[in-house]
Amino acid sequence: MSAPEPVVEPSAAPRPRRRWWSVLALTVALAAALLFSPLLGNVPIPPEIVLRILLHHLTGGVAFANPCAGYAVSPSLCTAYDEIVWEARLPEVLLALGAGAALGASGASLQGVFRNPLADPFLLGISSGGTVGAAFVFVYQIDVPQQNLVLPLFAFVGSLATGGVILIAARSRFGAVETLLLTGVALSSFLSAWLSLLLLLNPTGSLQVDFWLLGNIGGGTWPIDGIVLGTLLITGSLLTLFGRELNLLQLGNDVAQSLGVDVRRVRIRILLLTSLTTAVAVAFTGVIGFVGLVSPHIVRRLFGSDYRVVVPGSAVVGGAFLLIARDTALWAYPSSVLPIGIFTAFAGAPFFAYLLYRRRGVPTMGGL
Amino acid sequence: MSFAGPTIECRGVTVRYGTRSALAEVEFLARPGEFVALAGPNGSGKTTLLRTILGFVSPEDGAVAVLGHPVDELSVRERARRIAWVPQEEVARDDVPLLSYVLYGRYAHLGPLEPESPADRAAAVRALGEVGLGDRLTDGILSLSGGERQRAVLARALVQDAPILLLDEPTAHLDIGHQLDLLERVRALARRTGVTVVAALHDLNLAARFADRIVVLSRGRKVAEGPPSDVLSSELLERVWGIVAELRREPRSGVPYLVPFRPTSMPPPAIPPLGPGPVHVVGGGGTAGPVLRALVDAGCRVTAGVLNLLDTDQETARELGVPTTVEAPFAPLSAEARAANGEMLRAARLVVVAAFPVAASNLGNLEDLQGLAGRIPVLLLPRGAAADWDYAGGEGSRALERLRSEGAIEVEGVPDVLRACARLVPVVSPTP
Repeated sequence: MSAPEPVVEPSAAPRPRRRWWSVLALTVALAAALLFSPLLGNVPIPPEIVLRILLHHLTGGVAFANPCAGYAVSPSLCTAYDEIVWEARLPEVLLALGAGAALGASGASLQGVFRNPLADPFLLGISSGGTVGAAFVFVYQIDVPQQNLVLPLFAFVGSLATGGVILIAARSRFGAVETLLLTGVALSSFLSAWLSLLLLLNPTGSLQVDFWLLGNIGGGTWPIDGIVLGTLLITGSLLTLFGRELNLLQLGNDVAQSLGVDVRRVRIRILLLTSLTTAVAVAFTGVIGFVGLVSPHIVRRLFGSDYRVVVPGSAVVGGAFLLIARDTALWAYPSSVLPIGIFTAFAGAPFFAYLLYRRRGVPTMGGL
Repeated sequence: MSFAGPTIECRGVTVRYGTRSALAEVEFLARPGEFVALAGPNGSGKTTLLRTILGFVSPEDGAVAVLGHPVDELSVRERARRIAWVPQEEVARDDVPLLSYVLYGRYAHLGPLEPESPADRAAAVRALGEVGLGDRLTDGILSLSGGERQRAVLARALVQDAPILLLDEPTAHLDIGHQLDLLERVRALARRTGVTVVAALHDLNLAARFADRIVVLSRGRKVAEGPPSDVLSSELLERVWGIVAELRREPRSGVPYLVPFRPTSMPPPAIPPLGPGPVHVVGGGGTAGPVLRALVDAGCRVTAGVLNLLDTDQETARELGVPTTVEAPFAPLSAEARAANGEMLRAARLVVVAAFPVAASNLGNLEDLQGLAGRIPVLLLPRGAAADWDYAGGEGSRALERLRSEGAIEVEGVPDVLRACARLVPVVSPTP
């Protein structure tokens, strides 16, 4: 027998830290936030009754046939409570979750694809496109009775059209990352100018547009949640599957390409998925800032920079972030409907600054 | 490697960046197990050629085939399985653990949802061990030094398990020890596994030492190609790099190495005024180069001869502007040459005999010194055993012995020669 070649046992090699368990812990925290969030709302309802109503519906009507039993609540009021919790609060909470998750996953993917820590889902002018679409509805009072559906449709088309322009640019020979970023910035300015002109000529819709620009999750219904969460489930999973490619893209396009990543194709697919994800969220909630920008940074600080973790992690953090913003808004101003975007910016901006300045040790994402 | 033909085949490749021609009709072939060095000044097209082979740059004209397939017909993934690349510079953004980083090299071998297998992991650990980073597996890549990073990139390329390895200035950030180490490993890899290695190397000494073949590019054109000892010459260095350099040979291996002096654009060093009596140097085969240079630098007037044309010493003498009696390349000394040299000897105030190898063809160089030692100093530089230099059947040793008996002085080295020269002539002539 010849002398065995010294081989390092594969098991002796430390596995790269994936920290799936941490993502799991975050998910549990998110579930807790989900359970807590319906307790808060414009109409004060005793928490116990809210929980009973939720359990009643979640068990398919088996438990708590009469959620208000034992409380001094009239049957008609109980029906109203049930209506509020199940048809208004929970859909709103789920919309917050879905929109936050969509923005988080999109933000993470875009920061990866552009290798830029300041990238966010609205970077490429998608929000501006959506806003122009929405402004059309407000300004021209299109089909006012059906505005619930017309508005999202117009916003969605506006967002996706902008995303389409970027995609066409990405497919062209001008598809370099820097060019795309600048194209997005130029497109944003162009659309903003168009929006300003539109509102100057027709001042009637400007307040509604302002409101839309600050983001709002009050429009949540079960069908809308279905659309948002369904889209997110598909696009988010696909984006997560691009995690490995995103990791390699961080080494630069040439290196990624030499390792086997079809950089252009991957970039176009990720842009398509993020455009779609963002457009769906924007269509139903308006522009909610900072979630897509901050969430990936939080995840990176907690779990490292592996995009296979950063993308789904940012979805979880983004969802939780938006839920917390909603709860904070309701806790601070229980009786008013404030645009949630105000709170995400209020909380997000200082927190972002804190994250950056508190950073010790080795930097990631080029120093940020 | 099972592939028998050339692993890389470039035919008439022309690449243009805008209007600037980066490669012009370049023919390039590389075979399994071969280590080819690409040499040439900055902007000569080395990197462009590598990028064209990688498929990053599409040639305007000509064809590039990798393992027999046109490179533009291969998918990105297929290319990555055939060609591994160590780029000149790689920017790291995220602090990825070293092992994960090296595992990136397995990407092209993995399916879309397939995780890295224990075998992949073992290969990565082995590759890291091979580049001397086996104890840093969990360290983040941002904590590595520039040289360690470069070795990590090499480990990643090794894990890629491709039959072709392209390196773009792989030694740029390495100290001399790691330069030798890396190239030694790469050459061993080529020998052992039949991987084709093509490396753009600025350091010609490293290229000459490690490469089987050097391809010299200049302004996008291939200007020379062949084994290092054939390709490198003072003339080529002057023509392509624009430098004056002396090319010597390592005595044991015969590997050429160069000693650079100055760019051709710079004037030769100013020679101070000289005294009347010249020093005549007898040498050949590179033995007289150092003494010629030292004497000229010290301001001595120097003559030399008889030297064969193309001889290293002759090239040195020409470059220094030393008047020299020359003979045709590789020819025995003719009567005419010996007569001309005799005139130089008569004018000389000092004769220096370098430790040149003596054969029947140049024995005259020693014989013609007879009788001089009584008149002017004849200095003999140290020689080893006769077997190492006397190829004239003992005639050389006998001639040298005669010189000794006549009073020729054995010196220890160049400094003694300089002292003798300084005593002989005033370095600065007393002009009013």
